Amino acid sequence: MKVALVYSHSAKKTSQVAEEIKKVAKWETLDTINVEEFDTKVLSTYDLLVLGAPTWFDGELPNYWDELIPAIEQLNLKKVKVAIFGNGDQVRYPENFGDAVGLLAEVFESAGAKVIGYTTTEGYKFESSKALRESKFCGLILDFENQHKKNEERILKWISSLV
Amino acid sequence: MVYVKRNSLPFGIIQTPKETLEKWYHLMALGRALDERAPNYLKQAIGWSYHAPYAGHDGIQLAIGQIFDSKTDHLFPYYRDMLTAVSAGMTAEEIILNGISKATDPSSGGRHMSNHFAKAELNIHNVSSSTGNHTQQAAGVGRAFNRYKQKGVVISSQGESSVSEGYVYEAINGASNEKLPVIFVFQDNGYGISVPKEDQTANRKVANNFSGFKNLKIFHCNGKDVFDSMNTMLEAKEWVIQNQMPAIVQANCIRMHSHSNSDRHDLYRDKNELEYVQQADPFAKFRRILIRYNRLTEAEIAAIDERVKSEIKDAHRKAMAAPDPTPESIHQFIVPEPYIPQKFPTGEHSLKGEPKKLIEAINSTLKEEFRLNPDTYIWGQDVAHKEKGGIFNVTKGMQQEFGKARVFNGPIAEDYILGTANGMSRFSEKIRIVVEGAEFADYFWPAMEQYVDSSHDYWRSNGKFVPNITIRLASGGYIGGGLYHSQNIEGALATIPGVRIVYPSFADDAAGLLRTTIRSRGMTLFLEPKALYNAPKAATFVPDEFEVPFGKARVRRVGSDLSIITYGNTTHMCLEVAEILQKEHSISAEVIDIRSIIPLDEESILASVKKTSKALVVHEDKLFAGFGGEIAAIIAEKAFEHLDAPVMRVGSEFIPVGFNRILEGAILPNTQKILSAALRLGKF
Repeated sequence: MKVALVYSHSAKKTSQVAEEIKKVAKWETLDTINVEEFDTKVLSTYDLLVLGAPTWFDGELPNYWDELIPAIEQLNLKKVKVAIFGNGDQVRYPENFGDAVGLLAEVFESAGAKVIGYTTTEGYKFESSKALRESKFCGLILDFENQHKKNEERILKWISSLV
Repeated sequence: MVYVKRNSLPFGIIQTPKETLEKWYHLMALGRALDERAPNYLKQAIGWSYHAPYAGHDGIQLAIGQIFDSKTDHLFPYYRDMLTAVSAGMTAEEIILNGISKATDPSSGGRHMSNHFAKAELNIHNVSSSTGNHTQQAAGVGRAFNRYKQKGVVISSQGESSVSEGYVYEAINGASNEKLPVIFVFQDNGYGISVPKEDQTANRKVANNFSGFKNLKIFHCNGKDVFDSMNTMLEAKEWVIQNQMPAIVQANCIRMHSHSNSDRHDLYRDKNELEYVQQADPFAKFRRILIRYNRLTEAEIAAIDERVKSEIKDAHRKAMAAPDPTPESIHQFIVPEPYIPQKFPTGEHSLKGEPKKLIEAINSTLKEEFRLNPDTYIWGQDVAHKEKGGIFNVTKGMQQEFGKARVFNGPIAEDYILGTANGMSRFSEKIRIVVEGAEFADYFWPAMEQYVDSSHDYWRSNGKFVPNITIRLASGGYIGGGLYHSQNIEGALATIPGVRIVYPSFADDAAGLLRTTIRSRGMTLFLEPKALYNAPKAATFVPDEFEVPFGKARVRRVGSDLSIITYGNTTHMCLEVAEILQKEHSISAEVIDIRSIIPLDEESILASVKKTSKALVVHEDKLFAGFGGEIAAIIAEKAFEHLDAPVMRVGSEFIPVGFNRILEGAILPNTQKILSAALRLGKF
């Protein structure tokens, strides 16, 4: 299975998560792509895309993802699966907890991709999230600010579910 | 919600025509150049001492201006809306003229603070610094749109923190209730100066506080993103026009710089945050995607940047050469020229006939003026419900005769009552509005914010706008009403320039002054002595179409030994005193009813004092710091050589008016107190 890990290499917490994923993932080929420097056309060449998307401000995608959306919408990703991880803050931003995960999922689905890697909401306390689908998150959401100690376990469990 | 592809929306990087993208880039580059250049004017001591940079609001501000159509819409920008103003049609030169306060500044001729951009010719309104209070004025224009079937929208723009103001709630509640075509834009950059938005309200997106309001649609957009802002503003405008209801657009922005040039954001924002907002720079994002999607080349962008440099240089040169306002100009545009009575130029008559009560005189004059002018409106609390017409029934029968579109109740929100009057006036010069400002004059204080703002308008806009409003208030005591029902407010309000204040004490003067007031441009406070509404002593014959000019006192009793100068309720007491003085003390007192407090008829007062050499000033309002002090000072200065005695005054105690009749009697002036003062004066 050809897998790409796509995230911003200048995003500190996201990069930390990506490093952890690289450590625990058992995929044969895992390409690392800096989302700020690549051509979106390569996305359709992978079987699985693992995407990093922290939530900016009150529930927005980071610019580096947002700017790619018109290009992604033009791709055919019907054969591609995507798994999305992101960071949120349940205490300061409970209304938009991990929104970017949900927003990015919709964008990739609009291009035909299948979103995998849903996770439980147990252990989280928030008000609303665009990542929430039928009582599950459509990806992995980590909370560095308030539940940092749970990151490792959550990443391991999530990666296991993808494999 | 179903995902809608960005590429299928009206605006997007793929589908927007190249010439539109070029236009937008040019406007954004021009705006940023001005935004970045503004602080230099202060550093060089040229001006622009107040500049609130807009960088970080680029998307929504471009969109507001682009969606705005000056032929059909009205726009109320706030002090950070520099790009909004540029995008809506103001030139770089006009922006700089405002910034450095030149006489030719289209916003205010250098009178209003810098960064308050306006251009009346484009329906871009001059607004207060009391941020967000223009929401009420926007609702007022929306009401005019409704009445005159205008096919457009009113756009009101403000920062998210100012939504905390109660008047914003009043405006949105009113717009929702009246179904007014207004878009309220909240530009949310997370801060009110240094105060983070979590200190303002519980919802991070303050627009959601209004989610329970009926007839209102709330839109959210990324105010940093040009296309999301354009699509949202377009959708909001179409929805408002189609549904004839208000909308809120909450645009999430960032503030890349300090609040203004008197603020230092590094005192309360950490390094990470400052870097974070720089990364999210909306202008840099727009530039990047133009190139990424091959819509404009680097060379094309560079060419626009060069054009902007040249435009800014040219605008700067012209603005610097523009004239400064002159000291002599300060007296222009304080209060507009009033209606000049034609049939009764002196505001006096000696005609006889069936007496009319003061309340009937006001009621019939209102009706006569409403019959004459179809662009007249009246609203206020309680003014129109079936057989009731106001707390004292002054407007009885008006709704039945003129309909609910012209005569209607307002909510218990005095500021909204006045703020929407200001706004509705902005739609057309021909409109004349009468408001019952509050149930009783002493309930008027919540409207002070709009009162003060409206008092400035004519001067502040350099004569380009004046609210044409008559504020009727039932005033004064002697009814056992206590606090909030029996006090006077004219002494405090007379300290505010820009408003006429009249206070009749007889039915004919009430009718004549009201007619002149309604026919005049500008704002007039029309105070009604409610204790006299039905009093036989205030009833007079009222000639048909009687008129009283502003600033013209009336000698109600001729005398030679002392002058009593008064108005309102105390006019009748002074006449009684004059009678006693004549009969019991052989003192001939002249009683002058000034009728107009502002403008004041100094000439009649001084002429009387020069004749009698003694002056007693009497009013019901507080003696200490009351308006009588002003009259006394004028007499002392201008008729000193004619005086045989100090100018004496009678007014109420410097105490709130008590409810118990014993307290009220002890606090307010009465015939005995005035008589005592007159006798003391007579002894000199």
